Amino acid sequence: MCEEHRLDGQARPMLREAVVTSNEAVSADVWLVTLESPEVASTVAPGQFVHLKIATGRDFILRRPFSVYSADAERIEILYQLVGRGTHELSLAEPGDRMDLIGPLGTGWEIPEAPVRALLVAGGLGVAPLRMLAEALTRAGSTVALAYGAPTAERLTGVEIFSAAGCQVMSCTDDGSAGTHGLVTLASGDLLGTGEVDIVYTCGPEVMQRAVAAQARDAGVRCQVSLERLMACGIGACLSCIVPTTAGQRRACVDGPVFNAEDVIWGDS
Amino acid sequence: MHRVDMSVAIGDLVLANPVLTASGTFGSGKEYADLIDLTRLGAIVTKGVSTSPWSGNPSPRMAETASGMLNSIGLQNPGVERFIADDLAWHRRSFPQVPLVVNVNGHTIDEYISVVRRLDEEEGISAYEVNISCPNVDAGGMAFGTTCEAASEVTRAVRAATARTIIVKLSPNVTDVAAIARSVEAEGADAVSLINTLLGMAIDTRTFRPKLARVVGGLSGPAIKPIALRMVWQVSSAVGIPVIGMGGIASATDAAEFMLAGATAVAVGTANFVDPRTAVHIVDGLEDFCASRGIGRVSDLTGGLITPDAAANRDREEGSR
Repeated sequence: MCEEHRLDGQARPMLREAVVTSNEAVSADVWLVTLESPEVASTVAPGQFVHLKIATGRDFILRRPFSVYSADAERIEILYQLVGRGTHELSLAEPGDRMDLIGPLGTGWEIPEAPVRALLVAGGLGVAPLRMLAEALTRAGSTVALAYGAPTAERLTGVEIFSAAGCQVMSCTDDGSAGTHGLVTLASGDLLGTGEVDIVYTCGPEVMQRAVAAQARDAGVRCQVSLERLMACGIGACLSCIVPTTAGQRRACVDGPVFNAEDVIWGDS
Repeated sequence: MHRVDMSVAIGDLVLANPVLTASGTFGSGKEYADLIDLTRLGAIVTKGVSTSPWSGNPSPRMAETASGMLNSIGLQNPGVERFIADDLAWHRRSFPQVPLVVNVNGHTIDEYISVVRRLDEEEGISAYEVNISCPNVDAGGMAFGTTCEAASEVTRAVRAATARTIIVKLSPNVTDVAAIARSVEAEGADAVSLINTLLGMAIDTRTFRPKLARVVGGLSGPAIKPIALRMVWQVSSAVGIPVIGMGGIASATDAAEFMLAGATAVAVGTANFVDPRTAVHIVDGLEDFCASRGIGRVSDLTGGLITPDAAANRDREEGSR
């Protein structure tokens, strides 16, 4: 049941004023912002998100949700792509700026206590919530393989971090500029075909996650997905971000963003 | 600064302050309990409750627009029994001192009545807000709020079913909101609340598709404040019962505007999403607003608007003395 899915011991959300310590482009339209917010940084779990009030916006008022890419005792990092108003305005933030933040929010990945063979499947910026997961799995003694698809080599953001952390990485690019020429599901299908995968975690475009979930199901392997939805409150009150599941309508912001793939009733997207 | 009496009365219900949460933006409070002190609120107005569970509308249900947002949630709720078992039980256990106003919905008048009768068996409810103005459901909802006859009929039926305070929530999607307010007043409503969202839409020009799956939805946020304020002024000029004003309120000065226009209390909606502390900030800000002007009671703001006509009359009266 999704309702039971909220992990024990996950921190309650806090409202804090974070300080921007750096904010830089890592490729043409992907940026990395670092925010100092010790209480949030030290309690956020892999797969959770924060809800940022991007202060420069006056006519567009809602907060923006972002997965946490990495966290230490003091700071969190957020990897973001310039896609619209909010992310453009976020890119204008400078070190020293203060930014209202609510977090940690949502239900993150389930991390087995016993060592497993995990397959992570990322599509583009879907890699963001997988980095903390890879680190946590590795700490727990699990082996981690990453199938990572992106349009171009330049957009395989952070791929070297996964390699350096000891993950087996298989890259796929739409233009063949790095790794296999083609969709990431080629790589995830191959890996699942070896029979050496115990659990699959995926984040990226929904059509890709749906395909990966189908591959995992066919291989008889558990799969968790991280779904993106437009949201207003981020804390479970407004019911904007619903995900239809076998247990009824669930909220991406509280019951998710991570769901067991078998529970999700996929839509037309 | 001297102390300000922040209490206001809505029918028999006395609130510690005039700041409420708008239905549908605040759950029943539980979701906000980690972030703000709920005991600072004048009252919590719950998400809409219906007899049976409603699953709401397809996604996407939300779209941001200039200075506001559109929603087409469609009154998704788990039904009155689950509401009682979960939210009401939580409220009674955790914040019994904060007045709870339950927002009531139905596809038919019988459904409104059945929710109210069931809730009447339960303690811990201060009032009902009868929602005859949701633009996001096909049957019932706004249909009851757009004619005087239908609005009267629902109000009469709910009035006959309960002795508790009834607030009727009005739709702005009408030609003459004051006429509808007078109709529900005549049928025994203790107060009216307005405005619900304005029907609107938005289109994604990359895909040629509507931004909401239901195509149209309700517009809320600062974008609608001038319209809401105008309607609150019109309604409070037309009825004798208290008016609860809402629509784009995000600051204490916004709240003061609504009270000057005639509102006895105000509700904060979309601003809860932007900053969960907004309602509490407004409580503090309204107190400062009054204190700094030597106003001893916040209720003295209600209807304090000085229109050019009123100013001329006052000058005449003073001149004739």
